[in-house]
Amino acid sequence: MASALKTYGTLIGFVLVVLFFWIEIPDTFMTAKNWLNISQQVSMLAVVAFTMTVVMVMGDFDLSVGSMASLAGIVAALAFRDGHGVWVGVALALVIGLLGGLLNGALVAYVGILPFVATLGTLTVYSGLAFLVSGGKTIFGRDIPTAFSGFARSGLRLGESVSLPSLTIVAALVLLIVWFVLEQTTFGRRLYAIGGNKEAARLAGIRVRRLRFLAFGLSGFGAAAAGLMYASRVASANPTQGSGLMLDAIAAVFLGMTMSEEGEPHVLATLVGVLILGVLGNGLTQMSIDSYVREVLIGSIIVLAVAASSIGKAKG
Amino acid sequence: MTATLRKRLSTAALFLSAVFAAGTAAAAGKIAVITPYLAQPGTQFYVEAFQAAAKDKAWDVNVIDTKGDVAAVISRLEDAATQKVDAVVINVDPAQVEAGLAAVKDAGIPVVGMDAGASPYLVTNVTSNGYAMAADTAAYVANRIGGKGNVVMFVFDAFPPVQVRGVIADAVFGNNPDIKVLDRVTPDVSDGGIADSRAKMEAILAANPDKGSISAVWAAWDQPALGALQAVEAAGRQDEGIVITGIDANPQAREAIAAGGNFEASMAQDFHGIGKAAADAVAQTLSGKPPKSSVIYVPTKLITADNVKD
Repeated sequence: MASALKTYGTLIGFVLVVLFFWIEIPDTFMTAKNWLNISQQVSMLAVVAFTMTVVMVMGDFDLSVGSMASLAGIVAALAFRDGHGVWVGVALALVIGLLGGLLNGALVAYVGILPFVATLGTLTVYSGLAFLVSGGKTIFGRDIPTAFSGFARSGLRLGESVSLPSLTIVAALVLLIVWFVLEQTTFGRRLYAIGGNKEAARLAGIRVRRLRFLAFGLSGFGAAAAGLMYASRVASANPTQGSGLMLDAIAAVFLGMTMSEEGEPHVLATLVGVLILGVLGNGLTQMSIDSYVREVLIGSIIVLAVAASSIGKAKG
Repeated sequence: MTATLRKRLSTAALFLSAVFAAGTAAAAGKIAVITPYLAQPGTQFYVEAFQAAAKDKAWDVNVIDTKGDVAAVISRLEDAATQKVDAVVINVDPAQVEAGLAAVKDAGIPVVGMDAGASPYLVTNVTSNGYAMAADTAAYVANRIGGKGNVVMFVFDAFPPVQVRGVIADAVFGNNPDIKVLDRVTPDVSDGGIADSRAKMEAILAANPDKGSISAVWAAWDQPALGALQAVEAAGRQDEGIVITGIDANPQAREAIAAGGNFEASMAQDFHGIGKAAADAVAQTLSGKPPKSSVIYVPTKLITADNVKD
């Protein structure tokens, strides 16, 4: 019983937060429309957090995801401005994301730099590149094709006034793919083995370097996808717009990790972490509570959740 | 463990309900003010003035700062639509948050822009008149040099609100047959604009070494004017009577104007006036008589050494 509570404490906390908002905002919170809204609002963070989970499974971090998201948006917008089609811009941005991620992977796995340091370095490089190629300006207006900005406003109609947003569908697909890769393939099991003990994994014949290299590639690719989603949602690209994603993504993964007996990240748990962040933002706005309260609450919840689960572990 | 959990949740709930109780005053209207730019001084002034005006009207105002995150503005607009507030006030480029504005419009909630930019989604946008600000400083320059001489212009046509200033100054100088625009410079603004403007001005000063060969510098905003001032002073040509003007009257510009050197004039926007006028526009809209014009201009003021200390 106690161990179930320890594992599910964060989930129960999430449910209680939802119940709290349901009671306080009875008319509008617990509606399909609002939840579809929330799903769309968290979709960009979700994609970054899901792919961040892949590297955090190995005990690594990728601090460069926020600036990669910005860079990807800028690259696509510049391609649009030069008259290329939507798919060319999107493909170019995703390739940049993959290459940037693989560069992180190479620095970490083959050069042997600590992920914290390597990705802190590339964070600065990617951010600088975003400023460099854009000239520091926001690209918006006629330069952004309506087919691109329209994507974030489109969706699958579910009824009269509700539709499943396209951004939500993208996030759900990424969730499905990451879940499959991590939980259902040997690739995923090996990543968890690396996270458990790198040396043991290597001695057991796992090609640790190559797997870390590839995992970082996935994280960069996800960051670029999120950057494109962001650019589509705001119909513009700005060299700093993705920078808020990185810390929130790491926070979401940490919140999720408190739900695992071993303290391992799992992508479905990351989803709960993402939803906690999203629901707090949505509910507190609807209750007209100061937006800075959200920051204080989220920080406190992370510390409390992690503290509770580690106290429980120390006793057990 | 259960105790920890219970304590954790009850603390959070207590905190939330305390904040919530504080937020629900007797409200004649629920207004959400949404901006990514609350950290900037101008925005703070608008918002404070708006809140002061809202207090008199007994509105329940919720100020939401997304700290530079424009996509979060869209999210918060969607939340405001769900929450069914009575009106929304934004301080952000409407073109970047159209997805959110569409949701607010679908919910039948009016949106007023506070120095936001023109958009069909807004009832009206309250701002300073960029045309008038440029006309005031350009006319000041033309009059100070007696309608005669060479003028250097610093412009920035890539940014629409600044581009209109340049167009008006062109017209004023063009209407004076003895004024010649020596150069129309677009400085590199990536470092804030002062340093590159100074370098550009130094080059122009070097190319025009004779006393009186440059009568004035008209800048579309304060940073290039400050850069030009530094260049003039560094070249030791501060006694040639070169008249420099900027726009915005930022603190650094006010200091330069008060010092009584070549930087003679700038334009001050009335940030408090913008906040108050935005509140008035909301009040009119809520009473069923929305303002007719899609833009409401709040008067600006020419700042010179005479009134800079007011």
